[in-house]
Amino acid sequence: MTVTEQGLLEREKDSMTLNMGPQHPSTHGVFRVVLEMDGELVDSAEPHIGFLHTGIEKTSEAKRYVHVIPMTDRLDYLSPLGNNLAFCLTVEKLLQTDVPERAKFLRVIMCELARIASHLVWLATHALDIGAMTVFLYCWREREMILDLNEEISGVRMMTSYIRLGGVAQDSTPGWLQSVRNFIEYFPAKIDEYERLLTHNPIWLDRTQNIGVMSREEAINWSMSGPVLRASGVNWDLRKQRPYSGYENFEFEVPTGKNGDIYDRYLVRVAELRQSREIVKQALKKLPTGPYKVDDNKISLPNRKTLKSSMEALIHHFKLVSEGVSVPKGETYVPVEGPRGEVGFYIISDGSNVPSRVKLRAPSFMAIPGMCKMMEGCFIADVVGIIGSIDIVMGEVDR
Amino acid sequence: MTSEEIVKKVKIDQGEAIHSSEVNLGDSVLFVGAERIHDIAEYLKNDPDLNFDYLSNITGADYLNEEREPRFEVVYELHSIEKNHSIRIRVGLDEEDPTIPTVSDLWKGAHYPERELFDMFGFNVEGHSNLSRLIMPEDWEGNPLRKDYPLTIEDVTFSHNREFKQDLVKSKPPTR
Repeated sequence: MTVTEQGLLEREKDSMTLNMGPQHPSTHGVFRVVLEMDGELVDSAEPHIGFLHTGIEKTSEAKRYVHVIPMTDRLDYLSPLGNNLAFCLTVEKLLQTDVPERAKFLRVIMCELARIASHLVWLATHALDIGAMTVFLYCWREREMILDLNEEISGVRMMTSYIRLGGVAQDSTPGWLQSVRNFIEYFPAKIDEYERLLTHNPIWLDRTQNIGVMSREEAINWSMSGPVLRASGVNWDLRKQRPYSGYENFEFEVPTGKNGDIYDRYLVRVAELRQSREIVKQALKKLPTGPYKVDDNKISLPNRKTLKSSMEALIHHFKLVSEGVSVPKGETYVPVEGPRGEVGFYIISDGSNVPSRVKLRAPSFMAIPGMCKMMEGCFIADVVGIIGSIDIVMGEVDR
Repeated sequence: MTSEEIVKKVKIDQGEAIHSSEVNLGDSVLFVGAERIHDIAEYLKNDPDLNFDYLSNITGADYLNEEREPRFEVVYELHSIEKNHSIRIRVGLDEEDPTIPTVSDLWKGAHYPERELFDMFGFNVEGHSNLSRLIMPEDWEGNPLRKDYPLTIEDVTFSHNREFKQDLVKSKPPTR
């Protein structure tokens, strides 16, 4: 036996390094993972992030509070309203102001519609990754309707910046409310349609059940959040545990899974579609009348009509536009439940009109190490399924 | 437990290890030295009444402009899934030697935010298994979220703006 032959025999395993991303269509953005392969099986997975780094946290340190809101839209770009809400709630907590009831309800309606839209994109792309093309087209069809609703109330389809400090950008119209009502009447039949295509589909079951399993303890320890945590059997939803923005007024269930595999995450998210619809329905029914933003002109702009008759309103308008809101010195953190899990801003204020530090707690960012842990020992074909089931958005990972 | 009860209990159990504690806007906050943070974290995680099993977030902060001692701070946000309460731990770090022990042996979720601390603030996280650049490229110089890191200029091949950059570093943040 020659030395070379001996070396070949002694080599323990024939591993191959496989690069996936950042331009791979199934990595949902610019996510790169280096897979160490043993045949078809993944030995280890090493994530690489930062390809979409835009320095939003650093830029925020030179922008006034109001100007940070449009940037928060671009973090989790599939559900911009959740980020708006998290940011505004944190600043409002520092300002110690309470927004009117109608604003809270409008915020809830918009956030739940954004959650539905975000879950639809997730279902569309996740199913497409695994090979179910039709679902993709169906989900996009319904998401389009939500984007139209966004446009109708805020003028913008995706990056709405609709939630502002002290309330929302503008009041809803009866016509818009009717459009939302029409949508939530139309939507449940469509969820049934998706479920008919997937829930009992044998190929779907084969590709998702018992794959990417994460136990309850692991999910907590790896700081997973949102549907991934709930699919592992943890009953943790910040809308229930720490009601914010009036969520205590609504009755809804928190769907949880048992096995913590891809299929359970699918079931949890589809159940959340129904629950979100239920919340919107209740919010429309209970929507109170009254102002849609706080009456404090140091936080929100005075009514346009008063500008021509009230000197004080004009001064406030000028001060607020030219200087912005000054936030008392301090720091705080308010978590909210976004479509991907716990979204929260840790904001440090030095007492001026510019934040001293804005830190986003991004659920996708925290989920990436746990996701790569799931990939170990699975087949290469299941890697796309696992990435899809976590529902990462690179905008908030790289910030 | 309410925030007041948490703070009270921690004070009784770990009185000598914590510098101070407060309830800030309804949140319980502990101030701990870097040398004791691991002990406190372990206590908070394993105490049956507190049971902080979920690490929500780790954040760095730079208080350069406020001219206070110490300059840096690391902030931990913990939740208890079982008990549904939260706590914030603030750890001051020296400018000369910003070193902090890792808590990734307690919560695996700490791996990424601690790497981010190293990347963005240049903190030395002792005991971390893979302390390297996370978001910035591997050959990047400087720590972008420090307050003395220029906001508007980055190193490019031009040389005409080097002086401008130096000015920015010395001065306070640009126009507000």
